[in-house]
Amino acid sequence: MTKLAYYPGCTLKTTAKNFDDSTVASAKALGIELVEPERWNCCGTVHALAKDDVMHHLAPVRNMLRVQEMNSEGQVDSKEMITLCAMCYNTLKRSNQTFNEDSDKKQKIQDIMFKEEATYSGSVEVKHFLETLKEMGWDKVKEAVKTPLTGLKVAPYYGCLLLRPRGIGIDDTDNPRIIEDLFEALGAEVVNFAYKQKCCGSYNTVHMKEVVGDLAHKILKQAKDGGADILATACPLCEYNLGPRQEQVKVQYPSFDSIPVVYFTQLMSLAFGLGDEAMAFEANRPDPRPLLREKGLLEE
Amino acid sequence: MENNSEKITIYVMGKKHMVPEDLTIMKAMEYSGHQFTRGAGCRGGYCGACATLYRKKGSYKLEGALACQKIVEDGMYIAQIPFSPAEKKTYILDEIKPEAATILEYYPEVSRCLACNTCTKACPQDIMVMDYVQASLRGDITQAAKLSFDCISCGLCAVRCPAEIVPYNVSQLARRLYAKYIDGPSEHVLERVKEVEEGVYDQDIKELMTASKETLAERYNTREIDLNE
Amino acid sequence: MSDYISGYPESMQESLRKVAESRANRVGKQFTPMTADERHKVLEEYHPDWKMDQKRELKVGPCKGELMPHEVVDILEAHSVIKPEDIDLSNIDYDVDVLIIGAGGAGLSAAILANDNGVDPDNILIVQKLRLGDANSKMSQGGIQAADHPKDSPTLHYLDIIGGGHYYNKPELVEAMVKDGPDIIKWHEELGVLYDKLEDGTMQLAPGGGTSRRRMHSCKDYTGVEITRVLMDETINRQINYVEFTSAVEFIMDDKGQVAGAVLYDMDTHEYKIARAKSTILATGGFGRLHIQGYETTNHYGSTGDGIVMAYRAGANLMHLDSTQFHPTGSAYPEQIVGQLCTEKLRARGSQPLNIEGELFVYPLETRDVEASALIRECYGREKGITTPSGMKGVWLDTPLIDIIKGEGTIEREFAAMYRNYSKFGIDIRKEPMLVFPTLHYQNGGVEINVKCETNVPGLYVVGEVCGGVHGKNRLMGNSQLDLYVFGRRAGVVVAERAKTAEIGKLNLDHLDRYEKWLKEGDVETDRKSPILLPEYRGKKTLDHQLKLL
Repeated sequence: MTKLAYYPGCTLKTTAKNFDDSTVASAKALGIELVEPERWNCCGTVHALAKDDVMHHLAPVRNMLRVQEMNSEGQVDSKEMITLCAMCYNTLKRSNQTFNEDSDKKQKIQDIMFKEEATYSGSVEVKHFLETLKEMGWDKVKEAVKTPLTGLKVAPYYGCLLLRPRGIGIDDTDNPRIIEDLFEALGAEVVNFAYKQKCCGSYNTVHMKEVVGDLAHKILKQAKDGGADILATACPLCEYNLGPRQEQVKVQYPSFDSIPVVYFTQLMSLAFGLGDEAMAFEANRPDPRPLLREKGLLEE
Repeated sequence: MENNSEKITIYVMGKKHMVPEDLTIMKAMEYSGHQFTRGAGCRGGYCGACATLYRKKGSYKLEGALACQKIVEDGMYIAQIPFSPAEKKTYILDEIKPEAATILEYYPEVSRCLACNTCTKACPQDIMVMDYVQASLRGDITQAAKLSFDCISCGLCAVRCPAEIVPYNVSQLARRLYAKYIDGPSEHVLERVKEVEEGVYDQDIKELMTASKETLAERYNTREIDLNE
Repeated sequence: MSDYISGYPESMQESLRKVAESRANRVGKQFTPMTADERHKVLEEYHPDWKMDQKRELKVGPCKGELMPHEVVDILEAHSVIKPEDIDLSNIDYDVDVLIIGAGGAGLSAAILANDNGVDPDNILIVQKLRLGDANSKMSQGGIQAADHPKDSPTLHYLDIIGGGHYYNKPELVEAMVKDGPDIIKWHEELGVLYDKLEDGTMQLAPGGGTSRRRMHSCKDYTGVEITRVLMDETINRQINYVEFTSAVEFIMDDKGQVAGAVLYDMDTHEYKIARAKSTILATGGFGRLHIQGYETTNHYGSTGDGIVMAYRAGANLMHLDSTQFHPTGSAYPEQIVGQLCTEKLRARGSQPLNIEGELFVYPLETRDVEASALIRECYGREKGITTPSGMKGVWLDTPLIDIIKGEGTIEREFAAMYRNYSKFGIDIRKEPMLVFPTLHYQNGGVEINVKCETNVPGLYVVGEVCGGVHGKNRLMGNSQLDLYVFGRRAGVVVAERAKTAEIGKLNLDHLDRYEKWLKEGDVETDRKSPILLPEYRGKKTLDHQLKLL
């Protein structure tokens, strides 16, 4: 069992608990133990996305320091820090890059990291779990499959933060393959569609849900027109805007037919045969289970 | 008794005083003629009444301490912060649930935490304040309750927080939720309460209440002592 | 000990070496408990209560002739701080069903139960000399007793209390304590108090001095802090009225002879205010800050015995005030924290008292009066104490044994406050012992009450440390935390019932004139005034508070 430091982020502990559960279970099935740091804080997304200020890097850098401590105490097997939430991944990775590239800023950040016994050296490598899977090899993933997702037409949805900006993104910004490759390994039929990198509307969901309703409608309709049964995503905010927000889409577009949206790790758990607790489909809206039963992938 | 200690200079709210070097801030202020109404409580580090901000000679940093626990230093500037007009939300514990969103519902400002750790630095109890605020943010009530347990509500964290969070009130809610709903009651306590209500011990106790002093002393001196775990 | 820098001065190092060397041999060993005769002898020869030159007979009022410490007689044989003619009773500032004086554990419990039983939060007024919750209640470290373990019983608890109190306790009050005990713990858990538990969810229970069973429930060594802050939070949630920095200075009576409220003193603006109430609950705590016999104290800043003065002027009966509790283990070093409490639980978890030679000399869990007397005898009778640079004496309390017996990390976990406190002065109690000596801890006696917390004066209810009769002439560890809630809750229920029918007559302060007459009849000539409200430590007095012994 390889041990990797795992940074879940706040959302995976609250509204995206199913993302957390399915990931930990899937990783385990692949021989990876994801180890959470004993102490961690918010990735700092809200602050780090604003125009640069040293203060904004404290939260992300503090988390990387936690992983560095895990490294020096031999709790994990590599310098990697595995993340899931696209927002966390993006924030941590960018902050780490700034820290390593701007020596002036690095010094300032270190100076105001109050009450820390160790100093962050910049040594941690921020990774998305999809990257870990790719490095491990799709063959390895294929070996772990017990129930191939045969006949399931999956539309991979990336959103913004997994691919942008260049240098931070986990794959080619214009022609990503990573989620596609995963689902091919899982035995699903991949549906390619034009809006897989389009923005889901992000935080506009709080105060301008019509904007999100429009965007979600465009994305979901495209996927459906391409023949998709289901969308797979890697971001809790995208999941929310494309999933539960379908209620809003229906208000704006009464003829719209719903389509399930799940985390990629949930379908991994399904393919690996890890059981209800790992798949945690009960938290998704719309409920993907009727579809999966219909496809013979899930027992009645 | 005479105190032969060296005298040093301190500044209380800007005013200069010479005091023995081995006194706590509290005793040094009394030595220099202050009688506390506010700013003194248990005098033993348990009540948080004597929250104090100080600055050491030659330093620009404001640091926090309890006046009853901190020894004065030469050139120290001292100001007491005996009261913090911090907001405390009211709730009926029986009607709320220990869910991830509960704390944020009452204290939404928790989500403004910058993770700057200023609160932890200000805490005279060495509590990892930022860590429990962050635990509250992600709905980890258990962690928030445990990390904050040694809090004495002195208020220094709230005074220093740039995000205007009141950590000590947030943690009070977390601890009550944890104790009532997650930790839960002890069965043997409930059992015993029931027995007492049913009068199981009435007869025995009545007997002791009406016994002569001699009989009681005899019973007391020969009682079986069992302190094994 | 190799790399460790000792926090103690050179003069103590030889003795510390002996302690360290003998430690391994002392693990699991215990000094034999005293016989009843030996206990009596050590009390008579060494307990401060038995020093008759430190007491005198009270010369005024219904308890005339009773022996009390000079410091207590001094505040009773004193004039009121107010003159009746200066107070305008027609101008009522607060008019309520229930007035509660003091906001520690007892006062807060009374407020919550009065509210539970139908008194509107607006019809309750809590006045508090300092802040809400500023009280000795908060300072309890070791725990609270309640007989809820299957191996224990309320009957055994009864026997421990009354034997420990030397049979002076009022039986009905002891009965209330032991029968209500388990329900108090249940109530606390419902309110969200976090007690220490074992892995199977049962209470983690410790023994205490004079207990026949493990009966002490704790919240690390912040037991009082945890319970009090929960009660404060609950009081605020219910929006019960409270006024801080406002002290009661005298009761107000009516023409039916009832207590009908109090004259209040605003500590900030120095104004007097009038509170009229159908029932008044006195919950002002004890008298530790009077420094009986010059002893340092574990007590809160506000513990100045105000309640007994006000109640006595109103005609209430006092009992057992000749008896004072000295806690066996107060800090004797470093200077800055002399007198502060070192919880009895330190001994309950395995640390031993040792003399200068590193020898055991007493069973660690005798009742508090006996244990304290044995420590005084070791220092001043047998001359085997350790002398500090300021000339004070003490004995070692060998705390490192706790981690040896209970496993590494126990001290940091269970004695977080104590460990932190000593660390600030450079002493690591995991590695070195504490130097301790008895310290003034508790007012055993007080205003006489019955199980309904009633006094001999209608309208006046008394709860907590200011009342007498519960603990006899010696209190056991963890029983004051219990009595706060037992009698606080009972008073709350009683005054809620009384609010339905009680009627207040015309207000007066005639009892103050009567008190002046008693002073004259007793030939007391003095310019002392009381209650004193705050202790005086300004200037040289800061340095004066050191022990004047034997």
